[in-house]
Amino acid sequence: MKQRKGRGRFIFLCLAPAAILFIIFMIIPTIDVFRMSLFKWGGYTADKTFVGLQNFVKLFKSDKFYQAFQNSVLLIVLVTIITFSLSLVFAAILSREKIKGQGFFRVIFYIPNILSVVVISAIFSAIYDPTQGLLNSILNLFRGGENPILWLGDRKIVIYSIIIAMVWQAIGYYMVMYMASMANVPESLYESASLEGAGRIKQFFSITLPLIWTNIRTTLTFFIISTINMSFLFVRAMTNGGPDNASSVFLSYMYQEAYTNSSYGYGMAIGAVVFIFSFALAGVLNAVTKRDEIEF
Amino acid sequence: MKAKKVISLTMAAAMAMTLGIIPEKVAHAEGEEQTLNVAVVETAYGAQMWHDVCDAFEKANPGVTINLTIDKKMEDIIMPAMKAGDYPDVIMRAVGAATALPETFIKDNNVVDLTDVLSMTVPGEEVTVGEKILPGFVDNSITNPYGDGQTYLMPMFYAPCGLFYNAALLEEKGWEVPETWDQMWELGDKAKEEGISLFTYPHAGYFDAFFYAMLHESMGTEMFQKALRYEEGIWDTPEATKVFDIITKLTTYTEPTTPGNANDNDFQKNQQLILDNKALFMPNGNWVIGEMAEAPRAEGFEWGFTALPALEEGGERASYTFFEQTWMPKGAVNQDLGKQFIAYLYSDEAADIFATVGNAVQPIKGMSDKLDGDAKLYYSVYDTGAVAVMDAFATTDPVEGITVRTTFFDPVDSLVTGDKTEEEWVEQIKKDSDELRAALKE
Repeated sequence: MKQRKGRGRFIFLCLAPAAILFIIFMIIPTIDVFRMSLFKWGGYTADKTFVGLQNFVKLFKSDKFYQAFQNSVLLIVLVTIITFSLSLVFAAILSREKIKGQGFFRVIFYIPNILSVVVISAIFSAIYDPTQGLLNSILNLFRGGENPILWLGDRKIVIYSIIIAMVWQAIGYYMVMYMASMANVPESLYESASLEGAGRIKQFFSITLPLIWTNIRTTLTFFIISTINMSFLFVRAMTNGGPDNASSVFLSYMYQEAYTNSSYGYGMAIGAVVFIFSFALAGVLNAVTKRDEIEF
Repeated sequence: MKAKKVISLTMAAAMAMTLGIIPEKVAHAEGEEQTLNVAVVETAYGAQMWHDVCDAFEKANPGVTINLTIDKKMEDIIMPAMKAGDYPDVIMRAVGAATALPETFIKDNNVVDLTDVLSMTVPGEEVTVGEKILPGFVDNSITNPYGDGQTYLMPMFYAPCGLFYNAALLEEKGWEVPETWDQMWELGDKAKEEGISLFTYPHAGYFDAFFYAMLHESMGTEMFQKALRYEEGIWDTPEATKVFDIITKLTTYTEPTTPGNANDNDFQKNQQLILDNKALFMPNGNWVIGEMAEAPRAEGFEWGFTALPALEEGGERASYTFFEQTWMPKGAVNQDLGKQFIAYLYSDEAADIFATVGNAVQPIKGMSDKLDGDAKLYYSVYDTGAVAVMDAFATTDPVEGITVRTTFFDPVDSLVTGDKTEEEWVEQIKKDSDELRAALKE
């Protein structure tokens, strides 16, 4: 009895430092975000007024918030679908097929991931330049130099310009993750499948995909979280929400309100909504992608 | 058990005592060692002039040490301390920046009333601060944000804003600098035939100075002041409509790629259009010259600067005056010393350091006579009949989701690309003005 008690205490003491740090640096700040969202506060000075759920009421009446919401959802959906399919295909090709320069391609695809977002933004703002940019120069061969496309200046196009940059940046990372789990699939399965007469595509859908399913589920959650976070960095560096608010996303709107419109409490209300939204979305995705695990 | 209680009690007592003996910052009496915390944002004028001025102040006031924080991202440095309740004594940061530092303090009623500084004698001189400052600079809606006749922000370096162009190009083509908007449109058509656009802008934020000056030209001082307080129905008046019409018409004369680069990253590409003779005019301030100093340019390029064209022949021509401000947060500990320091900033000694080391010009009488070369061109714009406009929209309590920039100026991008019409723009201005009016500070 006494020994068990001692053991319990030992485990408690071992866990305590981590638990305390977690509470101080994760739980309390998160609760604080929710608490701050109930105040009207400028952010710099000590004057705070409690306003209850007012910030949320205003939030759900604001066109700008819905615009940011719409853009964020569009980004999450499109970036996830495009990046997911492309990186899966590239991973399958690079790990299953014998092609020249495999290592080279792997490095090339991964490079954008090493670059900082600011560098990527500079690269893409050179690509998107209306007159001297790479993209318009190529397109001009076909459509002539009249009325150049304003990749970052047209309200209807700007969000897609950001999607392209985000996909370009993310592919390598997910590709490497998928390749790692594909390497774990035993070769013998593919051998027997091809003896049975299954083609490459059949093999991909019936063997590769089910066997790396756990990994895919994990990355889907990553997609949501990283798209919400990365889209802020891209928007900040490339357009700052412009032109005329057309490219604002969750966090850029939150930043704009909290740090430039003296509405810190309102900003925190946006933060709280984003928090709940991303949690819920990740939960839903997790639930609908649940399959019986296949062992090999 | 008892021992434990005693120990914890002693420890609690010890903790309470340490809390008590943390030295409170108190203002020291004259003659003692004093430290003044000054936070300044580093702008195009550079940091050196501030170091020099602070050194000179320390020399003139033995026992005073100035703790100068100067950085391009000054807010990031002072913010953590401010959150902990530790404020700089004197801050120089102008309204209108993205971080909205002074705006936040004003909205929270957390700035010190500096009206008494105006009646202080400038250290080492016979005159008062108020007597030295140029008229108009301490009784506008920026320095008197609450409209109560009290001055809370002190004007610092000023710069005229207007239209910049390539003087050599106009001369070469034999084009006159337009004095009215009608002449402007004529010139626009002429330039179009030569493949040059009439207008470009760095990014939509640059329309603030432009918009204020246009409103003043159209409305005159009294009505302009009402507009700045978002008076009901003001945006339906013929005077306001004239301004909206001109800006909308101007967007059709705007270099078409402009919105594509109209962001904080690429706005210099739009400024480059002027240097490359692809566009004729852009709204800007004289900092653009330093900003574009290293940029390649058309042969013989020469900066030209003019106030905005008048609405009709012989009408008012306005030039917005951008100026920076010094102010004190209410949390400042050394308020008296801080006020002395601010008074000193208007001394001839300090003004000379600012002007010679950083080319920064203060709104002090006689200052523009001392300038020479390029600088003279800009500061003499008011001598040639242009009206100086230096107000901004009145301060409101924070209105969540609405900023002046996103309501009034950002839609210009959409006007150029044709994604919004003038009516939609004005509708949005009217709707948001209603909310801003309701939140006005009285």
